[in-house]
Amino acid sequence: MKALAIGFKPSDLGEALAVLNRLAEALGEELEANALIISKEPFKHGGFHKIYHVKTASLYNSIGSIYKVMDDLTVDTVVSPNIKDGVDLLGRVATKIDGFMVTEVSSIEKIDGDVYLARPILGGRATAYYRYTPGTLFTYTVGKFQPIDEAGEPDVIEVTTEPGSYTVVGVEEKKRGAVDIESAEVVVGVGRGFRSKDDIKMASELAELLGGEVGCSRPIAADFGWLDEDRWIGISGKKIRPKLYIPIGISGAPQHIMAANDSKVIVAVNKDKNAPIFNYSDYGVVADLYQFLPVFIKVLRERLVK
Amino acid sequence: MDIAVLVKASLDVNLVRGDAEGRLLKEAIPLAISEYDRNAVYEAVRLRDALGGKVYILSVLTWGPTQRRMRDFENVVREALALGGDEAHVVVDEAAVEAGPKATAYILSKLVDKLGGVGLVLCGEASMDMMASQVSNYLASYLGYNSVTFVRELSIEGGKVRCKRDLENYIEMVETELPAVISVTGEINKPRLPTLLQIRRAFAKPLKTYSLSDIGVSELPKQTPTKYELVKVSRKNIIIEGASMEEIASKLVDKLIEEGVLRR
Ligand SMILES: Cc1cc2nc3c(=O)[nH]c(=O)nc-3n(C[C@H](O)[C@H](O)[C@H](O)COP(=O)(O)OP(=O)(O)OC[C@H]3O[C@@H](n4cnc5c(N)ncnc54)[C@H](O)[C@@H]3O)c2cc1C
Ligand SMILES: Nc1ncnc2c1ncn2[C@@H]1O[C@H](COP(=O)(O)O)[C@@H](O)[C@H]1O
Repeated sequence: MKALAIGFKPSDLGEALAVLNRLAEALGEELEANALIISKEPFKHGGFHKIYHVKTASLYNSIGSIYKVMDDLTVDTVVSPNIKDGVDLLGRVATKIDGFMVTEVSSIEKIDGDVYLARPILGGRATAYYRYTPGTLFTYTVGKFQPIDEAGEPDVIEVTTEPGSYTVVGVEEKKRGAVDIESAEVVVGVGRGFRSKDDIKMASELAELLGGEVGCSRPIAADFGWLDEDRWIGISGKKIRPKLYIPIGISGAPQHIMAANDSKVIVAVNKDKNAPIFNYSDYGVVADLYQFLPVFIKVLRERLVK
Repeated sequence: MDIAVLVKASLDVNLVRGDAEGRLLKEAIPLAISEYDRNAVYEAVRLRDALGGKVYILSVLTWGPTQRRMRDFENVVREALALGGDEAHVVVDEAAVEAGPKATAYILSKLVDKLGGVGLVLCGEASMDMMASQVSNYLASYLGYNSVTFVRELSIEGGKVRCKRDLENYIEMVETELPAVISVTGEINKPRLPTLLQIRRAFAKPLKTYSLSDIGVSELPKQTPTKYELVKVSRKNIIIEGASMEEIASKLVDKLIEEGVLRR
């Protein structure tokens, strides 16, 4: 099997190698892995036959380059991390080669001699299985495949980009905190039940008391910008696995809560007793968060500090 | 210039049904408008009001059996019309059921061809049920249009579209020429719920239904999952009750201590 892995940053290559090894093993084939990296600076990683480098941070400046590389290589598959640019790029390649693509593959399974790509659908409530045939491209879920480190220094081949029909006129970095809610032991989730940015202080106070971090639903980060996007929990944000997750004023849309499924205990606070979040929780408090939180914080403080 | 908006009747992710063996009961799950397609319609209406032209709502019914889905499907399409679409053109054909994003895009491209004069196609960044984010790129390629994905702000001036793409770590400003297909994120606007009057008016707007042969499609590039499985979640589902907030809070603390999730 001859494959091409797309990489945007150094850690992508170890993961891609793990994905491709898994696929080759399931197919029972030898692997020849090649890489195309789209980044300002080139990087190397063992285990690859050839590494092509396009010197740009913007996919839209370099779309044509992948077609050049593919003309040079004739591969059976192309894989990319499931980030937005990866999904976009593979979608374009799939159309170019008249192939198929599977988005966000979270595992590769061998069942009765056939190889399947499994992916979450319905906001994570279900899994769909697609039979892999050569020519199928796919993006893989970041963090699901244990990266492989291999020694070796393949040559890096510089690929020049041709201006396409897109002009990137500017790039704005997003604000990032230094939090890592994915490995936090306790997470307090903020949802649209909070009426203002200022009120999030209550959630921060609770998180601090419990030795945890504040996370949030998509609208709080992406829409209102009340919290940085690295606190956004969900299928399009971070996956969390704390001992305790406390979603507050969050309705429990599958796209949010399915990313918290690995939490040991979930405690929901919501004023609507029919909110779906209670179906996904171990303990539920049906109350207005503005009445409950101050009391909960007070009671916790009394009992924890004793 | 006319604008086409792609609207999917998705399986409602909030009403997922399965059986005890973990099988997904697809046919028992009702359809609902795919969340971000609302934003796409709303954006199209905004652009139409500024630039003129028509807003076409395009949809392919991709969940079967089509006969039993017709009421749900029409409701979804009428909702898009109530949000401001001018006419709807939809494809209903058993062969399109679960045919996958490539086949769906192919069908939509034939529909766009048939309408003619469409300079801009808007769609959601991902459908609520399948979340593939693929239809827009396939469609652009079939039509020979430019394609920009994950757009949270857009403006049009003199045949040029300027987009803000919302990526994980940065926002990227991109320009391209029309005609184009653009997928929008849920943050691009805040659609208002249609008023009763708008809903009533939507029922008087044209809605034309086509079969695949009506639009000249004979073979489809299908990609159908071989199997679906339900993801099982089991939680205790205990509601903590009490006469006062104090009582509830302290019962909850008891439980958390019992579970061993509080540091003491
Ligand atoms: C393809 C796709 C991907 C998505 N990805 C994500 C994702 O990664 N993460 C994510 O979070 N969402 C995601 N979403 C969005 C998701 O569908 C929901 O829209 C979102 O999670 C809702 O956020 P929320 O629960 O904060 O708000 P709402 O749904 O508006 O819920 C607010 C809740 O607060 C309660 N409430 C209101 N006032 C109070 C009060 N005073 N006290 C107590 N409770 C109160 C209400 O009863 C309600 O239940 C995605 C959607 C799609 C279609
Ligand atoms: N069957 C369909 N009919 C109309 N539009 C669709 C259909 N499927 C997908 N789309 C559009 O394509 C977008 C992305 O869908 P997907 O590629 O499935 O994630 C959706 O938000 C819709 O705007």
